Amino acid sequence: MDISSWDGTISLAEFHAAACALVEKWKKVEGYLSLENIILVSIKEEHDELPSFPQKEETSCSDKEESIDIATLVQGQSDHDEICYYDLHIVYSAPYRVPVLYFRVYYSDGEPLQFEDIKKHLPAHSAKTLLDSKWTFITQEEHPYLNRPWYKLHPCGTGEWMKLLFQGDVSLARNGAAIEVYLISWLSFVGQVVGLRIPYEMLNQL
Amino acid sequence: MAAAESQSPSSVRKVVVHLRATGDAPILRQAKFKIPGSDKFAKVIDFLRRQLHRETLFVYVNSAFSPNPDELVIDLYNNFGFDGKLVVNYACSMAWG
Repeated sequence: MDISSWDGTISLAEFHAAACALVEKWKKVEGYLSLENIILVSIKEEHDELPSFPQKEETSCSDKEESIDIATLVQGQSDHDEICYYDLHIVYSAPYRVPVLYFRVYYSDGEPLQFEDIKKHLPAHSAKTLLDSKWTFITQEEHPYLNRPWYKLHPCGTGEWMKLLFQGDVSLARNGAAIEVYLISWLSFVGQVVGLRIPYEMLNQL
Repeated sequence: MAAAESQSPSSVRKVVVHLRATGDAPILRQAKFKIPGSDKFAKVIDFLRRQLHRETLFVYVNSAFSPNPDELVIDLYNNFGFDGKLVVNYACSMAWG
């Protein structure tokens, strides 16, 4: 792949390949997975623990989009004793040709959080990233599979900063390894908006 | 054996951070700094924001990923540093949309 002329976006097949790489390198779980019941980890106590990505079977494929549902441990403030759960989905966007993060946050009784409350539960730096960055803004729309409103990190701009991220590394272009690591790199950036920390074992693949 | 200067080495150990401008980001007059390993990466981000007078920055390590602001600098250095330093790249916001 010629990085210099690459616009930072990927095709559906490339998304598929990147997703397989993400999943395979990570504790050898098969298939795409869905996580549920992500527990919020308090920053203060669990500072040294990085979230893991437990997985189990579930696939949802369609001709146009593919979704990976990742439940994960997310750090956050604990002003409240309430535990919040996050569901994270990674869905391919055909129009933008990039992955898109969909997420929802809910209390243990299943009640969803309002956006204002989500912001309060985010770790301080995540909230700041979310509010300040021109690259990240959140919209609410119907999940492409589940027909319910989910929050989504808007995909425009993703191609640009993915290109920026990779263009400094000539060896990536030469080895063609950019696709395999695309999702990990991508996730390291968008995951910050919800307070996700990528474990070093995953980042060491890069 | 080196003199035991501290009980918790990572709290006094400093990490050399090299800030690299990419894209059309302004180059800092001073680009290399030593900061305590126990500092969070957020300090590097905040420093860049103040120096460049920009709220929106894209900050990443080794052309690979963007570190979570709560990561400790010493952990990032131990995992991703080389040649005795941690290279942190930054770019300014690009055209949106």
